[in-house]
Amino acid sequence: MKSEVSTVMKIETLSRHFREAYRGVRRNAWMSFAAISAVAVTLFIFGIFLIFAFNVRYMAAELDKQVAIRASLAEQLTDDQQLQVLKQIQSMPEVKNAELVPKEEGLRQLKAQWGDEGTEIFKGYEGEGKNPLPDLITVEPKDPQNIKAVSERVKSVEGVNDAVFGDGVTDRLLNLSSWVRNIVLIFGLGLAILAAFLISNTIKLTIIARRREIEIQRLVGASNWFIRWPFFIEGAFIGLVGAIFPTIIVLSLYQVGYSILGAGEVASILKLMPILSLGIYVTLCIFALGIAIGTLGSIISVRRFLKV
Amino acid sequence: MIEMHDVWKVYPNGVEALRGIDVRIDQGEFVYIVGPSGAGKSSFIKLMYREEKPTHGVVLINGVNVKRVRDWKIPHVRRKIGVVFQDFKLLPHMTAFENVAFAMEAIESPRRKIKPRVQEVLELVGLVDRMHALPSQLSGGEQQRVAIARAIVNNPSFVIADEPTGNLDPENSWDIMYLLEEINRRGTTIVMATHNKEIVNTLRQRVIAIEQGVIVRDEIGGEYGYED
Repeated sequence: MKSEVSTVMKIETLSRHFREAYRGVRRNAWMSFAAISAVAVTLFIFGIFLIFAFNVRYMAAELDKQVAIRASLAEQLTDDQQLQVLKQIQSMPEVKNAELVPKEEGLRQLKAQWGDEGTEIFKGYEGEGKNPLPDLITVEPKDPQNIKAVSERVKSVEGVNDAVFGDGVTDRLLNLSSWVRNIVLIFGLGLAILAAFLISNTIKLTIIARRREIEIQRLVGASNWFIRWPFFIEGAFIGLVGAIFPTIIVLSLYQVGYSILGAGEVASILKLMPILSLGIYVTLCIFALGIAIGTLGSIISVRRFLKV
Repeated sequence: MIEMHDVWKVYPNGVEALRGIDVRIDQGEFVYIVGPSGAGKSSFIKLMYREEKPTHGVVLINGVNVKRVRDWKIPHVRRKIGVVFQDFKLLPHMTAFENVAFAMEAIESPRRKIKPRVQEVLELVGLVDRMHALPSQLSGGEQQRVAIARAIVNNPSFVIADEPTGNLDPENSWDIMYLLEEINRRGTTIVMATHNKEIVNTLRQRVIAIEQGVIVRDEIGGEYGYED
């Protein structure tokens, strides 16, 4: 007698389960189609959400990298004194990096940010004594969350006039994203449950259609898993097929959006995630979710309608 | 071996189908279960292939208590039992061969063993030349022979038959009976519920008569007799 808990399913049995599952899908073609569509709509919404969420995380991370305190130095400091202030800031334990940005450099950066117009606008400020910008020290804190405290400390250093940072841009972005995320998640969860129930309904139809076969299988002593497997495969298959279209559509839309928004350089702070790495994540997530929804649907039906 | 000790079967609607059954059926026996409709024959039979659980009492199949046995072990208990029904319960979209093979596939027999074994049992029931026919193309007697082939293909120690001749004309009924006798001669226990007086009185075997949920008679070589 064979052991019930044999972990390795025989190839023969496995291929049989797949055939059986495929027959189930074919038999209830319209119900399967409806279930696949429901999964597809659900996953499409999830896909949009995923793109949004991945990008927000990506942007936040990029922003965190850029988070820097700008400490403006008192005008009367000599070069030596500036260097001393710099050293003092660099020696703080919470500071990762600090750099001196002379006002000439500051003006150059400003011009660069404004592009072609910059040369025109800032023309009058060039030359000795005309530059209104202060000399700066940019300070990068070790922990971006800690930026406020660090900026206070930097401010208190003698020779520093003021210390400012891009107050809360990251925070606001993350805040907004968590709101949107919650709304989409609740909405998506509702849809996912709906899709799972639609799948469970198609599985139920298969169970009913195969009622007699199942009865015979039970009678002759088929193991419970032998009877259940085809239904799980059928559910997972519906979820899988339902994942294909939303993945393609969502990623195509992203590709279009990405190229319209100037290859991710719409603004220096809003850098979109490159399509390749995003594509891998999104595809994996959508497919995993589709299979999960499908399997959940089968579990619901198998538990309710399949007496073993 | 099948043993029942003080077995009661009470359905949720309050019907007491079996009331204190004590019986023991040994390996190799041939037993008729007789009694009027509604006497409890079906419940008795269903307890034997664990379609039903006793409300009270103990049912042992080859020493396994069917009430206590873990769910995942039930299939192994059932593999020792072949069941034959009045209405055959063949799968209409499968040929005779496929119907029998289906029982072997269900217990994950290797494919190379399936074909020769199915042919062997189809030969035993005399249907080798009809093995590619669908049930709808077979007579009632032939369909029941396919069902018997399916019941024995996995080498069970018991065959439980619930009115196997109930839907058949006398000639086909006798063919089925000779077949069951032959299977019994090869060592398989046969338990058969029947209303067929002629068969019971001609092919004399052990007779268990059930009336109103109790065994009223248990006699080796007995007659059909119960008061209809």
